[in-house]
This record gives sequence, C-alpha cells and structure tokens, in this order.
Amino acid sequence: MAQFNLQTVIGFEVKRTLGRKRFWITTLAVPIALAVVFALVALSNTPAADNTAAAESDAGFSFTYSDASGYIAPETAALFGGTAVTDDAAAIDAVRNGKAEAHFVYAADPTMTATAVYGADLGLFENSGYQTVARQLLVASSQAEIGDPMLAALAEGNVPVNATTFLDGQESTGFGGIIPPMIFLVLFFLTFLLLANQMLTVTQEEKENRVTEMILTTVNPNALIGGKIIALFAVGLVQMLCFALPLLIGYLFFRTSLNLPEFDLASLTFDPAKMIIGALLALGSFSLFTGTLVAIGAVMPTAKDAGGLMGGLTILMIVPLYGISLILSDPNGFISQIFTYFPYFSPITAMFRNAVGSLSGWEAAIVIVELFVLSAIVLRLAVRLFRYGSIQYTSKVSLKTVLAASK
Amino acid sequence: MTPPNEPPVHIQNFRMDFDGTTVVSVLSFDVERGETFGFLGSNGSGKTTTLRALLGIYAPTSGILHIDGRPFTPETGPRLGYLPEERGLYKKESVIDVMTYFGQLKGLQRRDAVAWSVRYLERVGLGDKVKTKVEKLSGGQQQKVQLGVTIMNDPELLILDEPTKGFDPVNRRLLMDIIGEHKAQGATVLMVTHQMEEVERLCDRVILLKDGEAEAYGTIPAVQNHYGGTMIRLVYSGQVPSSPFYEISTLSRNYAELTLADGVDEALVLRDLVGAGILVRSFTTSKLSLEEIFVKVYGAETEKAGV
Repeated sequence: MAQFNLQTVIGFEVKRTLGRKRFWITTLAVPIALAVVFALVALSNTPAADNTAAAESDAGFSFTYSDASGYIAPETAALFGGTAVTDDAAAIDAVRNGKAEAHFVYAADPTMTATAVYGADLGLFENSGYQTVARQLLVASSQAEIGDPMLAALAEGNVPVNATTFLDGQESTGFGGIIPPMIFLVLFFLTFLLLANQMLTVTQEEKENRVTEMILTTVNPNALIGGKIIALFAVGLVQMLCFALPLLIGYLFFRTSLNLPEFDLASLTFDPAKMIIGALLALGSFSLFTGTLVAIGAVMPTAKDAGGLMGGLTILMIVPLYGISLILSDPNGFISQIFTYFPYFSPITAMFRNAVGSLSGWEAAIVIVELFVLSAIVLRLAVRLFRYGSIQYTSKVSLKTVLAASK
Repeated sequence: MTPPNEPPVHIQNFRMDFDGTTVVSVLSFDVERGETFGFLGSNGSGKTTTLRALLGIYAPTSGILHIDGRPFTPETGPRLGYLPEERGLYKKESVIDVMTYFGQLKGLQRRDAVAWSVRYLERVGLGDKVKTKVEKLSGGQQQKVQLGVTIMNDPELLILDEPTKGFDPVNRRLLMDIIGEHKAQGATVLMVTHQMEEVERLCDRVILLKDGEAEAYGTIPAVQNHYGGTMIRLVYSGQVPSSPFYEISTLSRNYAELTLADGVDEALVLRDLVGAGILVRSFTTSKLSLEEIFVKVYGAETEKAGV
C-alpha cells in the first residue's frame, strides 16, 4: 500500500504541477528570453561577419584614407575599395555632405593612436562595418609586408600550446580532469536554485488548505513527503530540460553565428573515483538541503514566514565560495577543514576539493557519511514536524512539543 | 483484526496535555461494532483533541487509544472515513481530480474512483461540477465534495467531527441520510455534533465530555435517567409555588416546565399543585431531552465563558 501510495502521490503532484499554466509561463519564459538574446546576438554578429568576409575581397563601399604610418599598402587598399588622400578635413567634409561614403585616418603609430573612422550612418549594426574594414586593411597590409603567412600568424600569437604536468609520478589531468567532477557541483547548485522555494513550500499547501488531517489519516507521512520530493525532482528535471534546450540547439546549429566557443570533449578526463565521490556528495548534499527546507516549511505557518530561514540556509551554502582561494591554497588548513566538515558548508567545499583533487579518500568518506546520516535525521525530523506540527495551521510549531510526541 | 474482547474503538485512561495545560485529564470509552456513537461536549471540552489522538495526529500524553485493537495508522487501520472539523481540499484542482486522488490513496483503482465520484456527484446535485476547480465551488458544495471523499472507500468506521457544520437544512438531511445508509450497512459511526436532535435520532449511545472527563456515558435513556430524567409540562391558572420536589425551568403566563428532583413521584407533585389552589388544565410528563441535559450540564460554564 505504501509503495502504491508513493506512486499515487508522485503522479498527482507531477500532473497538477505540469498542468498549471503558471508553471509553463514561468518555465518557458527563460528559454524564450534566451532565444531572444541569441537572436539579437546572431543578428548583431551577421553584419560584422559579412563585412569581415566582404572586406577580404571587397568592402562593399568605397572609402578614402590618409596614412601617416606608412603601413597601408595602396594596392591592398585598392582591393578593399580605398583611395588615398592627403586632405583629411576635405575628406571628412565630403563624408558629412554625403559626397563620400567613408574616410579613415591612420595615425603615425596605429598601435598607440586609434584609427579615426568617419562614415555615413548606416544604422547601429551596419556601422560596425567601417571599423571592421579599417582594421582588416591594416592587418592585411601588415601581413603583406611580412610576406610569410605563417610568420604573420605567429606574430598574431595565434598558436596552440599543450601542457603536460605530473603529480606523484602520474600525468595530471589539468582542467580536463577538473571539469567533469565539477559538473556535480554545478548540478547541485542549479537544482537548489531552481527547487529551493518549492521544497520549502512542499507541505504548505496542505497546511494552508487545511488538508492535513484528511491526508494524514489517508497516507503515511513518509510516503506523502517522499512522493512530493520525488515529484519535485521530476518537475525540476523538466525545467532544466526546458532551460537547456535553447542552449543545446544554439550550440549544435548556430554556434558560429552566436560566436560560441567550441568544446573539445576529447580533452576531458573522467576519473571514475572522482566521479563517484562527486555523485555521492551531490546526492547527500541535495538530501540534506531538501530535508532541511521541508522541515523549515513544516514548522512555519506560511511560506512568507519560512522565507527568512531559507535565506539563512542559502548563505550557509555559499559562504565557502568566499574562501575558495584559501581552500585551494591550503586545503588542510583550519578554515578549509571547517568548511569541509561542517555539513551545511560541506557541499560546495567538498565537491570543489574533489574536483581539483585535494580531497583525500578518507576525507570524502567522512563527508559523505556525515551528509547522508544527517540527511536521514533531518528528513525524519521533517516528517515528524509535518505529522505532529502541521495541524497547527496558524502558529509556528513548537519543537519541544514535537520532540515530546516522539517519545 | 480486532482482538476478541476489544471493540472497534477502545479508549482507556487517555490523557492529553499541551504545554503543561491538561485538555483531557482521564477518558475511557468504547464504541461497539455497528453502533452510532455520539461524542458530546461544549466547545473546548477536548472532543476534537481526542479524535486526533485516536487517529494518530496527536501523540497522547498517556493512555491507550486503539482502533481495531491497535494504534491507528493509515496502512494498518480499517477502511476509515474521517470528516475533520477543519475542512479543506486542494483548491486549485478539479473536483474529479481531488476525489480520484483521495480514492486512490484509500486503495481504489483509478477507474473505480472516477466512476464512484461521478455517481456521487450526480447524487448530491454536483453532476455538472465534475471538472470545476474546487475553489470555484460554494462552501456548501465543497462540504459535499469533502463528504464524498470521506465515504468513498465504503468505510467500516466513520469518524465525523461536526458533520453538519456549514450545511443548510436540505443538505443536512442529505448528509444524515447518507450516514444512515452506512449505518444500515453495518458501519460503525463515531460522531461529534452539537445538533442534539440528530443525536437522539441517530445515536445508540453517547458520552458527554466535561472539563476533560466523562460526565455521562451510556444509552440515551440511561443518560436521561442519570439527569433526573423527568420533566412536567404544565398548563394552568394561578401561581406555581416553589417546592423542594421540582425546579421551575420555564415559567410564562399559564405555562410552566418543571424539572423533577430525583425520586419524586409525578402524582405527588400534581396533588401538591392542586392543593395549592392551582387550576391544572394540562399535566404531561416526559423525559429531559438531550438538548435540555446539554444546557443543564454545560449551561453554567457556557455562561461563565460568555458564549
């Protein structure tokens, strides 16, 4: 029956959450906003990209230029559609009066003095084409002066470098080894941000709608709260997918136009031990914070009353971020040890140390056991608070009364 | 399974303290299988607290509270229908979704829960509200839905805390009919109510709770006898004298109600009244109604409380 009821609770909670218009409005607002931002970025990048490509053969507009530096090659400038002049004032007037499209003024030292660009206004996005052409002409002329394309590329500093380092005789993995276990920290953090408020209010509806008595005589509170938490997690996954979808589509199909960096997945190193420890730390942390938020929600008569305590819990969680340099430089120091073992500081500290490789096996074991044991205690307390406390619809639950009830 | 000698509801030496305040000091009673039991008392006398402790919502300070021979849990208890004093439903969901959810939690298959709910809603005049959100219903309509949720698993034990609260007379009759049907089918009913006529009509036995203790407990005639039992309704001319044989409960022009003292014979009172020069036009005797007993037991404390 308990198993059956667990499934019933999960089904009811998921269905009614996903069936609400408000849920979809708030959930889809994020990907829609992302899509709008991506579209704007793509739009703003397109003219620049087009202009860059065009600049290599034809700027698409004609221009005059003066060159105090002597680096501009007239034949290269001609390819871009440029004509050399000496009277800047007249050329600028011509642009101002609409008799010429653009005029560039190259200073004696273009690395120190900005190149001045004058042009007919073509609009916010199109105007960037003038700067692109002016810059490209200078680069192309310099490359032509060097003569050797490879030398030109080296001069730009556009060269790949691969580093190999060793730790205890073993090749260390660098950032490629840090990123995979760090994913658990990111996942935990995102899940908390997304679901914290819902965790807090998971039992509020029963209290605010006076359903507690009916529900407590119908279903075991463990099944009720367990079902609600699982349902919450399922709803959170749906939200994450909704948020991730535009990023995924953007990366797979519009990476170039969005100027997104290319990730080389082959450089990532998946250390099984770190991954397992990271997963266990994330799961234990999630359980602890979920249990604590449910307990707070069960104690407080309204979501508003519970909000202050949730703020305190969030601060506890992120405090280690302020000491991250200390944790990195001195993982065995006093502060690092406190951050590692105090349960509400542990999640970020331990997962971060695990990712960078400074969390030893026995330290990880202690933290994992601590998180899971405390989670079990807090979840049990949360159920008890709900069972014996949620009937107090309008007042804060007395912990003394609830604990006395457990004797 | 009920132990051989234990009735479906067994409460023994129950005590309940909240933060040092005793709400129920010592309470013992049983509800027998198939009977309808009235749990009576003034506001704040501990009735709802007792029901909550019986159903495991409160942990008792001491004592035994058993349903079917053991402390109640939703998994191990009998098919229970509980209508709490504090009513509430999930407000944002449709009526059919809420009823189906509770039906499934009570062990019905989803299909059966839906079919039962539709039939019930038709019966109580809410057939067109199946897909309406609960929050859109009136208070009385929500009460009907709540009653449906209470009885939808064909309960063996019905525990009803002020079931007619908020019902108009028509719906009160409907509710009483439904309770009567379950009683006829053999269900055990434990009912808290302040409607004494309902108690007299439905209940086999009652308990009166006062100051956290049982003031009276037994069948309705036994309770009536316990409180002196007899009242004289008198239509007369003259002036009713005071007497140690009775207490004048009601006195108006030519009409009086006299509550007899214990063991006093009605004929003796009639003879005294006639001897005092009263012209007696009508002289009828009856037992005290439960309402009169209720007023007698709780009247003083209710007045003190300013209610």
